Amino acid sequence: MTTPGTLVVDDREKGLFRVHRSAFTSEEIFKREQEEIFGKSWLYVGHESEIPNPNDFQTRRVGGRTVIYTRDKQGQVQVMLNSCRHRGAEVCRERRGNRKIFTCFYHGWAYNNEGRLVSVPDGDRYSEAFDRGEHGLFKPRAETYRGFTYLTFGADAPALETYLADAKHLIDLVADQSSTGMYIVHGTHNYSMRANWKLLMENSCDGYHGFTVHQTYFEMMLNLGVTPGLVADQGRGAGWDLGNGHAVVESPELGMPLMSEEILAATVLRRSQLVKRLGEARTKRMLNTTRNLIMFPNMAIIDLNFGIQVRTMFPLAPDRTEITGWQLMPNDVSEALKRYRIDNALTFWGPAGLATPDDVEGLEQCQRGFSSMREIEWSDISRGMSSQQPTAVDELQMRCFWRQWNASMTGASAIPEGSPYDTSYLKRPAAKPVLETSSSGMTQ
Amino acid sequence: MTGVLSAATLTRPDVEDFLFHEAALLDEWRLEEWLDLFTIDCVYEVPAPDRPDDDPAETFALIHDRRPMLEQRVIRLKKPTAHAEFPHSRTRRLITNVRIISADSDQVRVGANFAVFRVRNGIEVTYVGRYEYDLTCEADGWKIRRRKAILDQDVLDPHGKISIIL
Repeated sequence: MTTPGTLVVDDREKGLFRVHRSAFTSEEIFKREQEEIFGKSWLYVGHESEIPNPNDFQTRRVGGRTVIYTRDKQGQVQVMLNSCRHRGAEVCRERRGNRKIFTCFYHGWAYNNEGRLVSVPDGDRYSEAFDRGEHGLFKPRAETYRGFTYLTFGADAPALETYLADAKHLIDLVADQSSTGMYIVHGTHNYSMRANWKLLMENSCDGYHGFTVHQTYFEMMLNLGVTPGLVADQGRGAGWDLGNGHAVVESPELGMPLMSEEILAATVLRRSQLVKRLGEARTKRMLNTTRNLIMFPNMAIIDLNFGIQVRTMFPLAPDRTEITGWQLMPNDVSEALKRYRIDNALTFWGPAGLATPDDVEGLEQCQRGFSSMREIEWSDISRGMSSQQPTAVDELQMRCFWRQWNASMTGASAIPEGSPYDTSYLKRPAAKPVLETSSSGMTQ
Repeated sequence: MTGVLSAATLTRPDVEDFLFHEAALLDEWRLEEWLDLFTIDCVYEVPAPDRPDDDPAETFALIHDRRPMLEQRVIRLKKPTAHAEFPHSRTRRLITNVRIISADSDQVRVGANFAVFRVRNGIEVTYVGRYEYDLTCEADGWKIRRRKAILDQDVLDPHGKISIIL
């Protein structure tokens, strides 16, 4: 078998980049990923809006473990492994709810929602050496950035903000979209695919596949009528290296399908409110580009203007992946605009939508094609590698992911590509007198 | 279904005939004819698997198609560029436990159970759940105003997708 050191070939001189297909098929590499990547990186758990009130909880699988994501009675976010310290059973078997106490049904050990062991039936049968304080629910390191909570099982992981590097700016671009906060819409898309998880990381930031894989989606838009984007002439988009394996591809704003006068008015109003709050340059970056952000190792936030998809993908086997999709929504828009965004989001991204099933099909077909791995050993990811500024339909963003993957697996260093993320939109223009006459006449 | 059409006289065998005919159209990929069974103001819904009781208009559901999107879904599925269904899956629908739940002057609410088998590339998956239909009477027969497929699966594993009409 090929050793991990030669799985990623990164030839800067010739502008060639390739990945050995065993990275998608090998059981040995799958196990190594569990240790070196999922055992050490920051992994997304959930969004604070999913547990809005004290004692709210959600359970979910993160990095192969079941996790309780809860808010304790003081309102602090807590992340705990869902496994009794006595014999291992899951102490919470509900998907979501509101509880102060999690009681293991096996022998009745009970924990409060800060993880402390508060009750052991017939507890005087333990020796003095038995310390209840050491038998609370296991709490991995957890940190929250702008509402997004992550955990890590790695002792050496840097602080979350350091880890996120320039991906922070991209999180800010979704977190700042509402004056009253962003929230996860009820309803979760849990599905699987018969393909390696890294194929979906690539696909989540792949501008090149849009018109081939999603041709029927764009034809649907044309059939129903497209309202063009609000900002014209945006060039060819760009891929950016955000550091630590995170990357983004930014493309020109998409047109909107089936937009009524009411929705158009609400969209224009929303934009004018954001311009007032954040300035034109930042609003344009926020609302009038699409951004496919991937965060190493296994999270994507995709803002296609008509909706914001939050996605994780965890490997179950080299050729099987567990996928979760959520929809992030601005709180401060009209109910009609919320419904419009939900409809668009599930029509595009849902596993029953008009786009995502074709992505899943594509990735499963790649995995099937890897059966020829002995004859065709390498996949190519060189597109745009020798150009000064890779465009939205190049593959810089995937190379960033793979360099970090390689670094995590082998200890090699991940040398950045391209220029650092352009944050010029954050600079407010010099103060000038406000011209009331130029306002659009929108009222609150 | 000819003769006098009214909710009052509709029997369970009538409803079964209608549902079995619909299932055959879908299994035979006669999707344009299937579309003709719907009213202009129809809705086809599949709720979020973890929120089966919530309104698909207000949740991140799986499907919430009004007539224009339902037409586009059908147009898309008939194209070779609808990759997830090219070549087409074979499907087989078993529809049982058909009940008339309520009837008023112009609308009948119907419930039924389903098992939909999808076979493609040597892989078989089964979707299990129940249907809710609102049927209404138009000049040329009974039409579907609302068709809701509520899945029992809370995770689409190993299905991966719902690329067929459920």
